[in-house]
Amino acid sequence: MNEKKPKTKEILQAVLEDRKRTPLYNREILEKLRQEFERWRNTTVREEDRENWHVTPHTILGSEIPREMLYTPLSNPDFDYIEDLGHSGQEPFTRGIHANMYRGKEFTMRQLTGFGGPEETNQRVKFMLAHGATGINVLFDLPTIQMYDSDDPISRGQVGMSGVAIDSVEDMDLVFRDIPLDKVTVSLVTHYPSNTAILFPMYLAMAEQRGIPWEKLRGSVQNDITLEEVVRSGPEYIPPKDCFRIQCDNIEFIRQNVPLWNFVTYNGYNLREFGTSGVTEMAVALANAIATLEEMLRRGHEVDWVAERIAFFWSPASDFFEEIARVRAVRRLWYRIMKYQFDAKSPRSMWMRCHVQTSGVSLRREEPLNNIIRAAYQALATVLGGVQSLHVDSYDEAYSVPTEEAALVSLRTQQIIQTETGVTEVVDPLGGSFYVEALTNEIEKRILDEVDEIERIGGYVTAVNEGWLHKKVAEYFYNERNMIEKGLIKLVGYNTYQSPVELPPINVFRYPGGVEGKQKARLARLRERRDNEKVNSALTGLEDACRRGKNVVPYTLQCARVGCSEGEIFKVFKKAFGLWKPPVLW
Amino acid sequence: MANRIKVLLSKLGLDVHSRGLITIAKELRDAGMEVIYIGNSLPKEIINTAIQEDVDVVGVSSLGGAHLTLGGELVEEAKQEKLTERMGFVIGGVFPPVDAAKLQEIGYDAAFMPGATREEIVSSIRKIVSTKANRSF
Repeated sequence: MNEKKPKTKEILQAVLEDRKRTPLYNREILEKLRQEFERWRNTTVREEDRENWHVTPHTILGSEIPREMLYTPLSNPDFDYIEDLGHSGQEPFTRGIHANMYRGKEFTMRQLTGFGGPEETNQRVKFMLAHGATGINVLFDLPTIQMYDSDDPISRGQVGMSGVAIDSVEDMDLVFRDIPLDKVTVSLVTHYPSNTAILFPMYLAMAEQRGIPWEKLRGSVQNDITLEEVVRSGPEYIPPKDCFRIQCDNIEFIRQNVPLWNFVTYNGYNLREFGTSGVTEMAVALANAIATLEEMLRRGHEVDWVAERIAFFWSPASDFFEEIARVRAVRRLWYRIMKYQFDAKSPRSMWMRCHVQTSGVSLRREEPLNNIIRAAYQALATVLGGVQSLHVDSYDEAYSVPTEEAALVSLRTQQIIQTETGVTEVVDPLGGSFYVEALTNEIEKRILDEVDEIERIGGYVTAVNEGWLHKKVAEYFYNERNMIEKGLIKLVGYNTYQSPVELPPINVFRYPGGVEGKQKARLARLRERRDNEKVNSALTGLEDACRRGKNVVPYTLQCARVGCSEGEIFKVFKKAFGLWKPPVLW
Repeated sequence: MANRIKVLLSKLGLDVHSRGLITIAKELRDAGMEVIYIGNSLPKEIINTAIQEDVDVVGVSSLGGAHLTLGGELVEEAKQEKLTERMGFVIGGVFPPVDAAKLQEIGYDAAFMPGATREEIVSSIRKIVSTKANRSF
């Protein structure tokens, strides 16, 4: 049955071929221009430049798309303003999802925060809010991400590192102490479907305890199978099909019960940072979104009911114009998929709303202050592309989690873009640029080609299960490393313009001590205090739901309410679904 | 191939970032070494595997902050098993330069930070093995 189903690319090609185009440029004038262009090229342009008319920029996480020396109307002769761009807030939303974009709503300044115990993270969250951050973005520590408790032997020495330690509802409550959850938007960086199904119910249970109705909660989770099964290195994995099911269970439950919450953030970011081009990053996220929508339709839901709350997360890397074009290209492609493949009716379903984080792997250890410049250009590119919210990486992240000082520079970078540069006053300022439009077209085409490649393998879950994506990524990053070593990708201060002298060291963040002990003690008290009969029955209920194919979230919610820990809940998933061995990458 | 260097590679504990270590695995293999990659493991398991497989070098990777805690535990285990005389221990990942120095103080033969090249890593491992096992490459 899968074989006969028309593929995304076939559907879009058929529709777009049928649509009447009204090219902006007059044919006769274009023909004259072509002659003039040839004359100019043969007489004015140096032979060397003529021969190397196309040059491919080699950049960190780049797409290796060749560029012309000069772009003209001839680069995009069929340019149709209404069909290809429209005004901002109009189909196909190339120029932005809102008519007035940043004049109406500033981009949300959502800096990642999370280290140590819940108390320390709570302090840093308050610090960022006090300095003008407009959203919260909480990152969890390694044991929490990998779904083990702080007192599990496997967590030893890692509690509170790279994020905040959360074991139960109690910790969740401490992270958000004094923070009005009905007023700010909260992004919980629950990367995986499994930990989303465990941690988000803890957040909901906390809201219950505070008497805040779920209808008032606003924010997002990630909930992406790509992160659990492809990007992660971990000791235990559940099989992709079960992971995908939990992804969809989360979506279904959250949509039904927490209406303003973004239940999925297709995370291209971590995949690209793991090692892939900006094209693959977007193709994979779209393929996953398409697979999810198909599953939700199969479960009997309306497409608009689901799609209105879908969000995306991108990694902008170093190639400035590619990043601007990418955001515009994928916004148009998403519109086309929703409109023509899924027959969505609500404009909101066709809006690609996205968060971006500047590229972590583009940061260098050498001369770390240069990273401020790198991150600022990346952030600027995405603002020119029209994104909804932003995190700017800190200059010291090739050493550790950012210091308060470095985190503040990141926030200030956003505030400077927003208030000092004037770029937010004009919507899609590069729209119509011969170069940017040609690049936008090329990137859209390449993303669609890769979506097609995934669908021909048998769809997204199959592409993950069979290791196609794992292999593609491993090849990409191995090749990128070779290009850096050969000096093809040039990095200032590393393989070009190296400093002849050692520069003074920067301040580096130190993790607070004693977190592991505190977390263990809190867990021990919890295990003593709670009603263990209720705990066992909640866990048994969850196992039964896993095995019977019921939506798991009402059951993980019950687990959270009665005081189950994260590790206890994940153990049930492992028992019910069994373990999966991901493909070897080298 | 008695002269082939045998290397055990592992991610320390629960660290999720594997791009670097997978790259190193490929590069060491391309440089003619025999590589055993065991993914995420704790110090005790790493040492047990190192003994079982009788490797020349143990390489661990940590980008999540556990380089001193779990990294320290690993060399302690190695010392208890009296492995440090004959086996090389190297570590790589994201950590401050002062910690790189500290890791060498506590017993690592080398600590690689972001930006370490293939050439640096391969030649460093060869040198460590030739010193410890008195073998030349």
